[in-house]
Amino acid sequence: MPNSVGKRFKPTKYIPVSTAATLLVGSTTLFFVFTCPWLTKAISPVVPLYNGIAFLFVLANFSMATFMDPGVFPRADEDEDKDDDFRAPLYKNIEIKGIQVRMKWCATCHFYRPPRCSHCSVCDNCVEEFDHHCPWVNNCIGRRNYRYFFLFLLSLSVHMVGVFSFGLLFVLNHLEKLSALHTTVTLVVMCITGLFFIPVMGLTGFHMVLVARGRTTNEQVTGKFRGGVNPFTRSCCGNVKHVLCSPLAPRYISDPRKKTPVTVKPPFLRPDLSNRHVTVKVSDNGIHSNVLRTKSKTSLDGVDDKTSDIQPPLPPKADRYNQLKSQLTSSEESSPLSSKPTNPSTPAMYKYRPAFGTMPKVHYHATGEKIVMSENGKPSSVLEERVHDYRSEPNLDLPDYRSPPLHRTYQSSPFQLDSFSTTSRSFSLKQGVNRSDRVPLGGGKPETVTSTPHKGVFSPGTLSGRNGSLSYDSLLTHSITPSVGECAAHPGVPSLGFHSPYLPTKMCHVRGPEYQRHAGPPSYSPVHVGAMYGHQSPHSRERERDPSPVRYDNLSKTIMASIQERKEFEEREKLMHTQASMAYGNDSGVFDTCSGTAYGLPSGVCYSDGHRGPTPPMCGSRDNLIGGVGYPPRTPILRSSASSLVRAPRASTTSLHTDGSNGGSMHGRTAEHKYRSPMHQSHHSPTTVPRSPSYTHQKVAFISALERAESPHMGTREDLCQGKINGQLKYGLARDCHLGTPSGIPLSPSRHTNVKKVTGVGGTTYEISV
Amino acid sequence: MATEFHNLQELRHSASLANKVFIQRDYTDGTVCKFQTKFPSELDSRIERTLFEDTVKTLNNYYAEAEKIGGQSYLEGCLACLTVYLIFLCIETRYEKVLKKISRYIQEQNEKIYAPRGLLITDPIERGMRVVSLKKYKLLKSVCMRIVDQAVRVLAAVQLAAVDDRSNTHCNIHRSSSSLAHICLDAH
Repeated sequence: MPNSVGKRFKPTKYIPVSTAATLLVGSTTLFFVFTCPWLTKAISPVVPLYNGIAFLFVLANFSMATFMDPGVFPRADEDEDKDDDFRAPLYKNIEIKGIQVRMKWCATCHFYRPPRCSHCSVCDNCVEEFDHHCPWVNNCIGRRNYRYFFLFLLSLSVHMVGVFSFGLLFVLNHLEKLSALHTTVTLVVMCITGLFFIPVMGLTGFHMVLVARGRTTNEQVTGKFRGGVNPFTRSCCGNVKHVLCSPLAPRYISDPRKKTPVTVKPPFLRPDLSNRHVTVKVSDNGIHSNVLRTKSKTSLDGVDDKTSDIQPPLPPKADRYNQLKSQLTSSEESSPLSSKPTNPSTPAMYKYRPAFGTMPKVHYHATGEKIVMSENGKPSSVLEERVHDYRSEPNLDLPDYRSPPLHRTYQSSPFQLDSFSTTSRSFSLKQGVNRSDRVPLGGGKPETVTSTPHKGVFSPGTLSGRNGSLSYDSLLTHSITPSVGECAAHPGVPSLGFHSPYLPTKMCHVRGPEYQRHAGPPSYSPVHVGAMYGHQSPHSRERERDPSPVRYDNLSKTIMASIQERKEFEEREKLMHTQASMAYGNDSGVFDTCSGTAYGLPSGVCYSDGHRGPTPPMCGSRDNLIGGVGYPPRTPILRSSASSLVRAPRASTTSLHTDGSNGGSMHGRTAEHKYRSPMHQSHHSPTTVPRSPSYTHQKVAFISALERAESPHMGTREDLCQGKINGQLKYGLARDCHLGTPSGIPLSPSRHTNVKKVTGVGGTTYEISV
Repeated sequence: MATEFHNLQELRHSASLANKVFIQRDYTDGTVCKFQTKFPSELDSRIERTLFEDTVKTLNNYYAEAEKIGGQSYLEGCLACLTVYLIFLCIETRYEKVLKKISRYIQEQNEKIYAPRGLLITDPIERGMRVVSLKKYKLLKSVCMRIVDQAVRVLAAVQLAAVDDRSNTHCNIHRSSSSLAHICLDAH
């Protein structure tokens, strides 16, 4: 589905298009009724004919631009991103005609955006060759309808010129009867035309230049090719030909009414995937994300989902998290656990680092069940549950974070999503544990399990967590099953911005019925665990991606702030030495600021290959991860780091911001691509001085917005940042956090340093080494 | 062939795991639709490299033909303008025609080459032309059925031999047994 389900009807978005249509049709009609008769008599009948044709052309192009699918990409099936999920880098670099271009991971659509593709936040779709979202036609302009939009502008300009000049002719010949109806009306039409003349002509001229240069509006305003080479240009003539004469591209979103003419014969029918599409709406702390879930596992295996013992190589999807969370929320009421003073589990969690593997490869089997998502409207109870969970875990360093207010702050923060999920997760774990007497688990299990969400990535190799989670799976079936209407068997990490640590737990919850199979052996079969780990290692390989060990975890805003401060301080010191080397003053500064503040990502730390010691903080913006702007020496590094950025979890966050609309604010382009980020307005000062926590709030909002707009989380989708990264302030949009870690260890950095989990924006959790 | 179809139909239900291999787009020439011809390692044991590459190259050629800016596309554009785009309601554009050709080609390839090897190519248009996905099936049931079929035949031949004691019955038994062995080997 191109649009997220549950989108409310917003009449305000139709105002510009209605106005444009009304003005166009109304003015022209008045022109024809009042002005043309005299013109026909006085000059020639060709006049109304010419104007009529021009008007018809304008209308046709306007309609095509309005109603034509711009080239929307359908959401990727879950099975497609299994390789890329979880610790996949946020960017993937490719080479186009010798020029490095990076493809960004779209958290909403779950694929790496093809070149020139961008996600429109208004339409909530990735659009091929995205130009811009035009409010006057209330549609995105992309590959398929750019030609019609361009022709609309051209024809409208011609039409306006015609109307204005003929109207002028009329008025000049009726000067003595200015108060007459016809003259007045003509004057009004002339005024309207004159009023819109400048903007329309200006836009037309702008697009003529764009067409000649072979650029899209998005690329132009974000300054992608400023000073650089455009790999997509074909020469001026070639560009014009491409725009005007290229064949009409096909629709990717199939018309539900239409039947595809060529159908696959029965023997080759693929497993029925239609029931995969489950739209789940997760409400989390005010952040509504419409999740379009395709339970690939369910239908993918099609066949024998329940009994299939194959472990999907997919890391749990972020979606599941949400599902799980909501599921757990609903089950909370029945929890026997008493509410305890809230305690942010996240901070505590990361003190405790169980040795579980980073990859929560829970053995999920696709189930045909769907999780009925319930609105997560009880933050406090969730939080309390979480507290309770942590209480029972002796290893957790609770005292540090045992402040209810801290926890409460989560409630209104965008991070809450993760915190809730964590809570719910731990909660469900607890439930499971309680009910199972913890027989097979032992005392350590709950901790392991509970802390799994936060610590999942901490220590790769710990079996306990996994085991714990696995064993919990069986235990949890009882608790979960009743509360879960339907369980979406989803091997992916559930949730927005999800982290692996959560996965096992979540999967446990999610897979209630499935886990019944596993329930048999409370000993989580080491096979599973091994499989999980085994799976992790392949994941740790970066096939085509640079290592991106960035992990995210839930961190409270305040914690993030404090961590950020600390990091900023470190960064400041680093910067002092490296500031001079920064050649790219403004842009870099801007982005540094951005990173320093909003994203709190210390530049130096976040380079994958760690070469960039002296670099100033990278811009935290997702796009500009490499803050690359203007750091020529870091270009190569940036590239790698860019690619090493981990994708945001497979969250179903609605994109709130179009890439293009964000403009330069969020989209810095790395120097390597010769992209520049033109928008600095959102950045405060070019200094990389660490920002005080006062920024955090802004940045949080900013980040959350961004988070929602795209998959902002730099770093693996559900991973925590590698602990090794010092001063990594993964503030929601942590960037490339695999500093220091050898490439290719996205999964399991052994965390020697203390790792704190911070809830990032939009529910991403980040693991910050402190 | 009917048996083949029958088995292939069973594929859907008998696959214990549909592992998927994704062939990504090749953007080295820009945004033209082209898929990577690099042979994925997961298919090493399943299909010959040349067959696979041929398939992908043919697909790429089809897409190049669809996106070619030439006489037909000019004509279509002019006609569309003149008819105020109403022509799109009546005729099928060139791209759509080529897409149909591609679908037929993929189906044919599936039937002839990929399904017998336990693979299934999906039309990239379904995924927005971003990837070509190949599903790997385990031909369990189909193979089992064939094994069973052959086993039945062997038994029948043995019975016949017991009754008739004719030499050609032995040949039948031998033939059936060897084919049964082949099927079992194939299954692996």
